[in-house]
Amino acid sequence: MSIISKAIINLSYALDDSKRYNKTKKFFYNILENDSFRLKKYLDGFMITLIFLSVYILIRDVKHELNDFWIEFNNVVISLIFFIEYIFRFWVSSSISKVVINQNEHNLMLNRNFSIKKMLTEVLKDKLKYVFSIKAIIDLLAIIPFFHQLRLLRVLILFRVFKLFRYAKSFQTFVSVLATKKFEFITLLMFASIIIFVSSVLIYVMEANNPDSPIHTLFDAFYWSIVTISTVGYGDVTAVTNEGRSVAIVVITSGVAVLAFSTSLVVSAFSEKLDEMKEMKTIDNISKNKSFYLICGYEGVANEVAKILKKNDFQILVMDEDEKRVKEAIKDGFEALNFDPGEVESYKKLNIDLSKHVRAVLALRQSDVENVYTTMTVRSMHKDVYILSLLMEEMHRNKLSIAGANEIIYSKDLVGMIAKEFIGQPVAFEVIHALRSEFSGVDMEEILVTNRIFKYISKINQLENEKYRVVLLGIWKKDSDEFIFNPKADTTIELGDYLVVIGNSLFIREFKRALQKKIFR
Amino acid sequence: MKNLIEKKDAALIFGYNEYSLEIAKNISFKYKNIEVFSLEKNENSSHFDLSDDWSELEEKFDMENSVAFCVLQDDATNIFLTLSLRASFKNLNIIAFCKNKEGAHKLTLAGANKVIPLIQTTASMISDMLRKPIVTKVMHGILYEKSDLKIAQIRVEKEASFIGKHPFEVNWGEEFGIIVLSIMQDDINSSFIYSSKAKHKAIQNGDILIVVGYDNDIIEFESLIGSQCEVNWGDWSR
Repeated sequence: MSIISKAIINLSYALDDSKRYNKTKKFFYNILENDSFRLKKYLDGFMITLIFLSVYILIRDVKHELNDFWIEFNNVVISLIFFIEYIFRFWVSSSISKVVINQNEHNLMLNRNFSIKKMLTEVLKDKLKYVFSIKAIIDLLAIIPFFHQLRLLRVLILFRVFKLFRYAKSFQTFVSVLATKKFEFITLLMFASIIIFVSSVLIYVMEANNPDSPIHTLFDAFYWSIVTISTVGYGDVTAVTNEGRSVAIVVITSGVAVLAFSTSLVVSAFSEKLDEMKEMKTIDNISKNKSFYLICGYEGVANEVAKILKKNDFQILVMDEDEKRVKEAIKDGFEALNFDPGEVESYKKLNIDLSKHVRAVLALRQSDVENVYTTMTVRSMHKDVYILSLLMEEMHRNKLSIAGANEIIYSKDLVGMIAKEFIGQPVAFEVIHALRSEFSGVDMEEILVTNRIFKYISKINQLENEKYRVVLLGIWKKDSDEFIFNPKADTTIELGDYLVVIGNSLFIREFKRALQKKIFR
Repeated sequence: MKNLIEKKDAALIFGYNEYSLEIAKNISFKYKNIEVFSLEKNENSSHFDLSDDWSELEEKFDMENSVAFCVLQDDATNIFLTLSLRASFKNLNIIAFCKNKEGAHKLTLAGANKVIPLIQTTASMISDMLRKPIVTKVMHGILYEKSDLKIAQIRVEKEASFIGKHPFEVNWGEEFGIIVLSIMQDDINSSFIYSSKAKHKAIQNGDILIVVGYDNDIIEFESLIGSQCEVNWGDWSR
């Protein structure tokens, strides 16, 4: 193996292992290509501003004398920025080191020598594929005004406008929708082209030698055909002979057909794709959410849970395999998808990280089979995500826990417990119910001891909750996982503990705010 | 002869299904006499119909001190049953279960003391668990599990240091080891001491305090100021 080959391989491994390099590359990839990346919209906004500025300068330049600064700014600064952007896009489009490593490992397995030529072809293939993509070509053409001073070529600046499509998602959707009707559009285009070709030739033959006719050249004939078939009919070029008019009749009639056909094509393409587009929009909205509850099934208990959570400003996504129920969920104002919650594919389509984005998966179908299946599916994908499931029949409880549900809610159990409480501890029951109901004005809340709170407060007596007319019922210690009721004044507070307080909702809110800001200190 | 037989207080469960069995299982600690009634005739339960003739029951049980659970599957029949029971027994404690809020409203109108809409109750339990896991855990401990923490109501009968004071001026936790949640004065209208209107009320002799605390502390507090008392909690919540 030559020294160069060795150097290339070593460098590739070094780059592949380097955390810093990978992190940098990932950052640039995200900021350029990843729509869900937080900072991307700022770069997009900046680029769009540059594009409009560039076009403004072009328009202004037509009738006004611009000072040199703006011309230079347009030709050098903007072009340079676009050039840098192009280079970065070129860089992140594919990974050379990966190609080298793949090839090297492949060769090692088969006991072959590393070939630089083969490696270069692979790399070139990858990179050229990017260079010749439509988006990259537009990017490149948008830089060109930098390299010349010819006035005509300045029109190339308009490619900067085309660059806008890169930032406009709706245009990409538009193109992808129309692409589904490719065959129909090609047929229509062929039909129109033939009509235009035949009619241009015919009208030229009929009219070109007639001194009264405005059609003198083949270009005139072609222009007339296009204007007529599109049903625009400016009237600046018209047929004057009877033969020519006969051709016009045919072109006009077929023009109406072409127009009607193309309109209906666009409309049908959109109406066919409408559901899918709505789905995409929902997925898009959801992936923007930092955390949400995923409710599987929309019936009975699920409806109510969704409503309560929504009322408390939590984000929710409903997933149900039944179209009718999904429609109902959408009607009730929820983000809902007609996906089967029992299939891994459904979650993949969502394009989210289950553990990061989903606060909890709630399997709330009225059927144990469905809930077990959903629980199993989610658990198989992620071992840590919190799953709460409804249980309909006691005998299926163990199946649900084997499937991996963290919490199982059995409504018949609940009825038994409620009855027991009514009979045994009526007062406690009523008090707690009244506390829970939203109408009492009194609330019971848990406050997590965050870093901010922990910084100033380490003991119960530093809380000063009496000042806010908030009663501290107790503290939930994270370490020992136990609840200390009515803690003593010198009880220590640790990071991650929960304070359980009772009081007027407004007072609690004020107390919480004060804890965060420490304004009472 | 009949009059000589002492009538017993009982829990009457109407409807023979999984819910009723679950209820029977859970209330057996308090009621020795639990009778399950079913509209259909079967071996495990007594039969009843909706004919308004409750004389048999009346002969057998002390209806004033009994409690009835209406857990028929069909909401309409359940409402009909509740109405029929209420018409015959003014003071019977009726607890009715139904599917949703709509049914709950109708059952309340029909005269049930307490109505549990199953779907809503399950849903609010789930959402509580998600929204306030710690609070729910603590409450669950107090309500359903054998925790030492209890909620009790105590009538102020003896002279105590806090009479004449506002509930908020007393450091309950430090002095008595309990926390006062609510105060009920003669007019039965109770309110949590933390709601704004309660701050105008001073504690008087005869008031009933709703307190939370460990068993021992509550007993001690009780002996200090008065006695635990039973109030018709059905009225209290309305």
